[in-house]
Amino acid sequence: MAVQTAGTASAGSAVRKRVILAVAAAILAAGIGTSLYHMLSEPSGGLELEDNATVGILPGVDLDQRLGQLQNMLDESMIAFSINTNPVFGSGGAEGNLMIENPGQNAKLLVAELYLDGENEPIYKSKAIRPGTYIEKVKLDKRLEKGVYEVTAYLKAYREDTQEYIGQTGASIMLTVQA
Amino acid sequence: MKIVGKKRLAALFAGACVMCASLGIASTAAYDSNVDITVGDSTGGREITMVGSVQPSVLSVTMPSYIPFNISKAIANQNKVLSPRITVANNSAIPVSVYVKSTQVNIDALPGTSWVTRSTVADNEIAIGMKNETQENTAPTNLNQTQWLESGEQNISLVNLGPNGAGYLYVVGTLGTAVPENQSFSIVPTMIVKPTIE
Repeated sequence: MAVQTAGTASAGSAVRKRVILAVAAAILAAGIGTSLYHMLSEPSGGLELEDNATVGILPGVDLDQRLGQLQNMLDESMIAFSINTNPVFGSGGAEGNLMIENPGQNAKLLVAELYLDGENEPIYKSKAIRPGTYIEKVKLDKRLEKGVYEVTAYLKAYREDTQEYIGQTGASIMLTVQA
Repeated sequence: MKIVGKKRLAALFAGACVMCASLGIASTAAYDSNVDITVGDSTGGREITMVGSVQPSVLSVTMPSYIPFNISKAIANQNKVLSPRITVANNSAIPVSVYVKSTQVNIDALPGTSWVTRSTVADNEIAIGMKNETQENTAPTNLNQTQWLESGEQNISLVNLGPNGAGYLYVVGTLGTAVPENQSFSIVPTMIVKPTIE
């Protein structure tokens, strides 16, 4: 028993030492932490750090990233097309060889509209031309007299899935009506 | 049998001679009909009809239908526009010119701001234009030789492309200190291509 009691007394002393050491370590850690907090949070006369800040670069300020987004948007808007620059119509009501192509790599719908230069009413408007297809001959919506006309052909691009309008480009052509 | 065979052979030979003679006459006649004609002869030559056809000149190009860009006073150059590299490609054998036919300008979201077409702007002015690439893959930092976009119809030539050639353009521009930022506005130029007259 005595051995046991002595043994117990000796173990209790060791526990007290450990508790004292732990408390001392905690006080030391708290001191160091408090000092670091004050060093970091008050670098120039007591300013507090903003809690409502997100680490990183503000979206829109990274110019390279933004430029990449713009380039992607531009690339998506690119359209390829072919058209006859000198279409000939036998008469004002006849078919002519406009030869409009929407190449397969476009992946967009194209609508062609023809305007006499200086006028606002189209003389021809196609329906949507699917990618990978072409229209060889068309009949004008407006009957023209015999002559040679300066015409602007606008190609309007639409998304194939949603049919949302993207933008337009075009070509300046010379249209001939023979009789 | 032999006599009959010789007669048949003789008959065949005679027939062949007649056919050859006929073909020779016919070919001679056809040859003569071309040789004796004088086009435009006013002294009794025969008239012929010359039939020509104009072969279609098909141009094939690749161009943008929409040009996105950003403009910011924070960009530390004379050119304040962040623009993608705009490629225009001529995929045909016809030389072509690319130009801006018209521009829709909507700056309603920038109250008090005026649209101008010069590189020096007042506090409340903004100017946007287009410029050719002068250094490969490098956006312009200044506004020298800018083709300024006007609101409405215009015809400004941007670049000439040879057969199967390509050109590179950038949106450029500047804005005054009083022009509000963080607003969207739309500048919609319509780019047109036409065969180059040589």
